[in-house]
Amino acid sequence: MTYFDEQRASHGANAKIRKRVLAAICSCTVVLLLFLCDGAAARQVSGARATPAPGREVTDETGRKVKIPQKVERVVSLAPSLTEIVFALGEGNHLAGDTDFCDYPPEALQKPHVGGPVNPNLEEIVSLMPDLILATSINRFETVTALDRLGLPVFVTDPHSVEEMIATVGHIGSALGVEKSAAALAEDLRGRLADLDRRLAGTAPRRVLFVVWTSPLISVGRETFLADALRRAGGRSIVETSEEWPHVSLEEIVRLQPDFLIFAAAHAGDTQHDIDSLGTRPGWKDLAAVQQGNIVIVSDAINRPAPRMVDAIETLARALHPEAFASRTVASGAGFSLRGFAPWERQSPDWRAKDANREIGVPRRRLKPAPLAVEEACACAR
Amino acid sequence: MRPLTLKRLLWTCGGLALLLLASVVLALKLGAVPISVTDLILDLGRIAIGRANELPTEYRMIVFDLRLPRILLGILVGAALSVSGASFQALLRNPLADPYVLGVSSGAALGSILALIIAPEFALITPLGAFLGAILTITGVYFLGRREGQLDSTTLLLGGIISASFFSAIIIFLMTTLAGRDLRGMVFWLMGDLSTPVSPAMQWIFTVGLLAGIGAIYSTSADLNLLLTGEREAAHLGVEVTRVKLVVYVSASLLTALAVSASGAIGYVGLLVPHIVRLIFGSDYRLLIPASALCGAITIVLADMLARTVVAPTELPVGAMTALAGAPVFIYLLRRGLP
Repeated sequence: MTYFDEQRASHGANAKIRKRVLAAICSCTVVLLLFLCDGAAARQVSGARATPAPGREVTDETGRKVKIPQKVERVVSLAPSLTEIVFALGEGNHLAGDTDFCDYPPEALQKPHVGGPVNPNLEEIVSLMPDLILATSINRFETVTALDRLGLPVFVTDPHSVEEMIATVGHIGSALGVEKSAAALAEDLRGRLADLDRRLAGTAPRRVLFVVWTSPLISVGRETFLADALRRAGGRSIVETSEEWPHVSLEEIVRLQPDFLIFAAAHAGDTQHDIDSLGTRPGWKDLAAVQQGNIVIVSDAINRPAPRMVDAIETLARALHPEAFASRTVASGAGFSLRGFAPWERQSPDWRAKDANREIGVPRRRLKPAPLAVEEACACAR
Repeated sequence: MRPLTLKRLLWTCGGLALLLLASVVLALKLGAVPISVTDLILDLGRIAIGRANELPTEYRMIVFDLRLPRILLGILVGAALSVSGASFQALLRNPLADPYVLGVSSGAALGSILALIIAPEFALITPLGAFLGAILTITGVYFLGRREGQLDSTTLLLGGIISASFFSAIIIFLMTTLAGRDLRGMVFWLMGDLSTPVSPAMQWIFTVGLLAGIGAIYSTSADLNLLLTGEREAAHLGVEVTRVKLVVYVSASLLTALAVSASGAIGYVGLLVPHIVRLIFGSDYRLLIPASALCGAITIVLADMLARTVVAPTELPVGAMTALAGAPVFIYLLRRGLP
């Protein structure tokens, strides 16, 4: 063995040892780090739940049987509309968690959030120890199945019209054990809608285009609760399709010439900005409604199948048919109540005041019943 | 390069397995609900001695019903994608081959969506459709890439990329026209997502299928080494080229199909992990296959952990995480010359 061979050999051996030592140090560091960053994050979820009390079985709106405790104490809502219903029933104190998009009433913002309605965090939901989870059609089927598999009770609602929304209020009320206030709320909502029908009787429906999204132009199909809300407010959507959130061609809209364009006040300043720019945008500027300024912005409540939707319908009806509201008294003399009689308003009247101030500037990150394309964009943005 | 000895193989795989274990523990610990490692180890001990009922229900649900199955699924998906990437690279003698780039992932995705549309009542139809989609795609792309009896690497890659975008277009068409069906979950699934738990029966299918696929490919790894020199040369050296190619194509398609039906199209893992393994441990396929499987598993477990925690409680799709990390590394590898 020559000198060089020896040198090379010892060098190789050294390198090997050095490599091993390095590997050992690395693995030790990883293990140490694991324990060091352990810190105060001790077990947060603790305290096994008491043995479940004898429950009852309810059937949800999709026909699933759900086993819930006699008295529901901890509710997790997976959609802004459901959060609003729970608060409207006066059960806000039993709401254990809601989604990132639940911004009404303001108390909803203080609740622990479980992520967005489409991709909520299952771990977060479980950690809130719910004894009832409320879901609706904007949630994914997979989420419901996964929660089912964990043995958590999920009550799924599926309203497709204003009347079905009121029925949903009743169903949630009986699941929460507050049938009385649910019935009172439903009666109030039905009464207000009946008053509205009486006022609008004899007026011809306006031909309207509800704009969910401007680019691309997305409107509502005839089987959605939004189309029904438009009908209730004395409007008729010019888009006639069974598709829920149709992507419509602007050419078709120019041909059909709607009397009114309706926008929901979403995205804070965006809506106003969008509307201001319509007059210069190709296609849109050819619409008589844009030229004459027949554009209505309603509260984003119209996007949510919850009691507050009736307020939005009333506002919209006033905008579409000002002539029907010109006379100050109603012939029948029955108390026509636009505002101020819903039971949840009596509980904390200041929400409504706040909401009135921010009628247009409601911070919303996402249209609730978003179609595929929009959802995808939102998922990327998140 | 040093010759491969059994000792070196075992040491490398053992080390990587330890690293995988560390990542699993880390991934179990971190999440929307933080949990301490000490508790975790104590609880694992409790479960080992059969006293699982002492644990709080919510805690057991979060760690052992939600987090652990997801991590195990991530391990399977990562191993499958890396091994199928490594074997496509050997078969096509193309360093840029990968199930995602070759369109096999998109083919599998299209296959499983079609299967779901045709027969939604059978739970096992998705992996089957994905497998058919994957195998048809790789056959198609293989013939697209042949020119005058030779595989042309540029044509092959272009064929793969074009098939991938064609299949994506069909998927978008299907998702738009079939508005009545609830395909909204698909948007997440298409980006590569591990957040939706799979049923226990599916977990078993994935485990068995992946072990079989990786085993079959591993049994041909000595032949793959020879195939890298060229098909004719390998045949002269006694390799049954047709049989090896068939076994590896079918197994790699199976692995891709299972990974896609479990978690959607997660990109870059099948491409980058084998390259990084080659850089560190050399290009002997007898070591490359197991090391890629382990490194792929580590990669997905860590990527999914990041996807769960960066913007918690909201989750990112794990495919976005791998692409975020993978694309720059890919460009780096491309610039410095592929190994």
